[in-house]
Amino acid sequence: MPELTAAYRQTAGSSRAAMGDGSAEGLVFERISHTYVAANGSTPVLDDVSFSVGPGQVACVVGPSGCGKSTLLSLAAGLMRPTSGVTRWRGKPVEPGTNPDLGMAFQQPGLFPWMTVRQNVAVGLTTRGAARSDARRQADEMLATVGLTGFGDAYPNQLSGGMAQRVGIARALALRPKLLLMDEPFASVDAFTRLKLQAEFKALLKLDRPTVLFVTHDVSEAILLGDIIVVMSARPAKVEKIIPIERGDRDRAGPGYARKMTEALRALGVETDLSHD
Amino acid sequence: MTGRLSVSHVALALLGVAIVIAVWQGTIAWYGLARIVLPTPFEVASTLAHLFASRSFWHDVLVSLREFLLGYAIGGVLGVLVGTILGERPTARMTVGPVIEALRFIVPFAWIPLTVLWFGTSLTGKVVLVAYAVFFVMVVTTARSIVTVDPTLTRVGTMLGMGPAGIALKVHLRAAAPGIASGAKAAAALGWIAVVAAEYIGASAGLGVMITNASMSLATATVIAGMIVIGIIGATVSWLVGRTTAAWLNY
Ligand SMILES: Nc1ncnc2c1ncn2[C@@H]1O[C@H](COP(=O)(O)OP(=O)(O)OP(=O)(O)O)[C@@H](O)[C@H]1O
Ligand SMILES: [Mg+2]
Repeated sequence: MPELTAAYRQTAGSSRAAMGDGSAEGLVFERISHTYVAANGSTPVLDDVSFSVGPGQVACVVGPSGCGKSTLLSLAAGLMRPTSGVTRWRGKPVEPGTNPDLGMAFQQPGLFPWMTVRQNVAVGLTTRGAARSDARRQADEMLATVGLTGFGDAYPNQLSGGMAQRVGIARALALRPKLLLMDEPFASVDAFTRLKLQAEFKALLKLDRPTVLFVTHDVSEAILLGDIIVVMSARPAKVEKIIPIERGDRDRAGPGYARKMTEALRALGVETDLSHD
Repeated sequence: MTGRLSVSHVALALLGVAIVIAVWQGTIAWYGLARIVLPTPFEVASTLAHLFASRSFWHDVLVSLREFLLGYAIGGVLGVLVGTILGERPTARMTVGPVIEALRFIVPFAWIPLTVLWFGTSLTGKVVLVAYAVFFVMVVTTARSIVTVDPTLTRVGTMLGMGPAGIALKVHLRAAAPGIASGAKAAAALGWIAVVAAEYIGASAGLGVMITNASMSLATATVIAGMIVIGIIGATVSWLVGRTTAAWLNY
């Protein structure tokens, strides 16, 4: 596989050497291409995408709208099969169907309209065998974490878009997943709430250390949360660049932050020098 | 619509009834119609009172209701069952879909002569006819409601760890419930119509029989009273189905 990115070779190679059973491999995309075929034509979306997210690592995916970020998450979740290539989770190819390690927050919240907010968060826990009372308690805790205390008995049609999105996040986090996929989770909340949610999210990640693939449009969010930033090109998307983030880069006032920001925006093809007028 | 009925609502409804009665009475006066052609509202009202006091009337009502309820239950259960399978399985849709589309347009009433031949004037014939009418409405609305469920909900079900059966029952069928409920309401109306139509042609008891007998003995007031009873029962059944499902779909 000569075209694998340097980052893929690094993480996948070293972990395989370390463990050998695959459980230390995390999430691996191996030469993934995907084309949607519909009656009115076919859309190539992903073009030979390879990278890996080490166990406990957070990878933030940025890229132009419509380039295939949600598609990438669906493939990682086993919600569909790629046209070619393999996705591996802990060394095993991802097959369509249920993955007990998985928690996912979708771009459209996808709440069950006939269930209360609390039931929506608890249903995954009971489906996976938790007792009703435990599920209820954990759901309430997670709702408090995303700032929705007191809304447990509301129905989804009584929520704003941003609130519904937070219920979707709570539902994914309540599962305490080993593999966490998040599709622009904080996109429709205000900037202030977003900062609070980002801080809560970081704290939660410290508890369980899940492997995370996090799609965002916000490069500063990617620097704040990610261990690596995967920059994708326009459709059909390739991996444009993988940018490692160090601890020091997260200081918004520091030079590292500005450097990573510029690097990411350049990879996205955005002109950043607005100083001349 | 669950709020209390306001006074103006009741007043407007009464006004509507009053207009019908006035036009009715006016038509008799204007054309000088004989009672045998069109009896007065008062005569029909007193006939209704007589009917309510008679045993054979209630027997007829019960016969019709029993035919309806049996057919509705059988057709409804089978319809939702087959509709769910068609909604879940594209291959089943492709195999059975065209047959159902074709049969759907052979309206229940077209089957009446055949059911009389096969089942005579027995209860079975009417039940089969109602079940047939209800079945097709329920198959089509159930399958369509399931096919149009938001695909994100299916993905959520998979993510949460539900298997295919769990998704079919707990996600698809549940998400389709509002569509199925409105189908159930339409099916109730059609089923009730089918009962009466079948009784007009071949039956030994029931409201339809009561009306055709009255018509042959030129008891026009009884004919009209029977029609009113049919209307009231039909409206009540439809309202009950709507009310029951609305209470359950309260989100
Ligand atoms: N089920 C589908 N059938 C056909 N085409 C699809 C389907 N889902 C997505 N696409 C197409 O694939 C492309 C990528 O979609 P995707 O949702 O993965 O993009 P995205 O990067 O998540 O975009 P955004 O940032 O706007 O959410 C789009 O052009 C879209 O039109
Ligand atoms: Mg997307």
